[in-house]
Amino acid sequence: MQMNRDMNILVVDDFSTMRRIVKNLLKELGFHKFDEADDGATAWPMVQTGKYDFIVSDWNMPNMSGLDLLKHVRSDANLQNTPFLLITAEAKRSQILEAAQAGVDGYIVKPFTAATLNAKIHKIFERVAERQNG
Amino acid sequence: MTCATHIEIEKVQALLNALQKNDQIQATVLLDELTQLRESELYQRLSSLTNNLHDTLDGLVDNRLLLQTKHDLPDVTERLEYVLSSTDEACSKTLSSTERAMDLSESIALLIQENSNKNLSEPLQKQLNGLTTKLDTELTNILLAQSFQDLTGQVLNRVLLTVSALEQSLIQLISDSRHDYDAIPDKEDDEQKQDEMKGIGPNVTQKSKQNSVDSQDAVDDLLDDLGI
Repeated sequence: MQMNRDMNILVVDDFSTMRRIVKNLLKELGFHKFDEADDGATAWPMVQTGKYDFIVSDWNMPNMSGLDLLKHVRSDANLQNTPFLLITAEAKRSQILEAAQAGVDGYIVKPFTAATLNAKIHKIFERVAERQNG
Repeated sequence: MTCATHIEIEKVQALLNALQKNDQIQATVLLDELTQLRESELYQRLSSLTNNLHDTLDGLVDNRLLLQTKHDLPDVTERLEYVLSSTDEACSKTLSSTERAMDLSESIALLIQENSNKNLSEPLQKQLNGLTTKLDTELTNILLAQSFQDLTGQVLNRVLLTVSALEQSLIQLISDSRHDYDAIPDKEDDEQKQDEMKGIGPNVTQKSKQNSVDSQDAVDDLLDDLGI
């Protein structure tokens, strides 16, 4: 499957260290268009512009959590199909279930490896392609 | 249940009579009288509890809890914040260096490509490409290892919340027991000195920075002054 390496990606995390790590890993995978936000509340107006093809977000952040951001995205008719990947330290079954019910496309538990990120992104966009073709 | 308040049967009877006669005004007056008794008893009990609490806090060894609340808990907070900011700074430096190293590795890869079929023999080119790939993998590992800062940071933030909630509760307890928080004295000098002689680690709080040196130069100057 051919992924669009030119897509706009929004990386949301309150720790700048993690934003940089995620951005660098995405760069390694060939992506090059990123924006950053430090929590859901900052991210939401950015997402609403409709610019982003992919959102990678942390869960536990001040003001607005990643889960709430996901719920906002899923309840907006124009944005609801945006692929959304959670990368988070939250690892309770109930939380993963909650995220799944909210419509998350992928869920990575920190700490994670570059291989995991690569695999999840591929899986997400394979499913996106299936949705579009089917 | 024993009860300090004596409820007079006459008053209750009078209240009943008033209600039966539908005399609302008289009933209200009587009911007020009865409840006032209860309220004043409740007040007495609360005040005795408060006195107990006051005495208990006084009785704690050398007002240890008061001192700990005023001095040790803010100290803990400041130290945790130091850990947060210093790991953030260290990670930032590591990430910057790693990013630059990744750029360098990319430049090397480009040079190899440009010089293929020219100065480079094919086996050497293969060998060099293998090395830059391995180098990239190691750099990615360094990058990913920095994610500890996010994880430990989230843990520390939670601890900080708990410590400051605990501090607030204790301050409330102190004021409820009619102690004056502002009047709690500083730590005794000899206790401070004892701590220092045991070793207290890096001076990361505003308070511990007082009377400490901030550079090797300052140490050298001090030693110099002492003729060492």
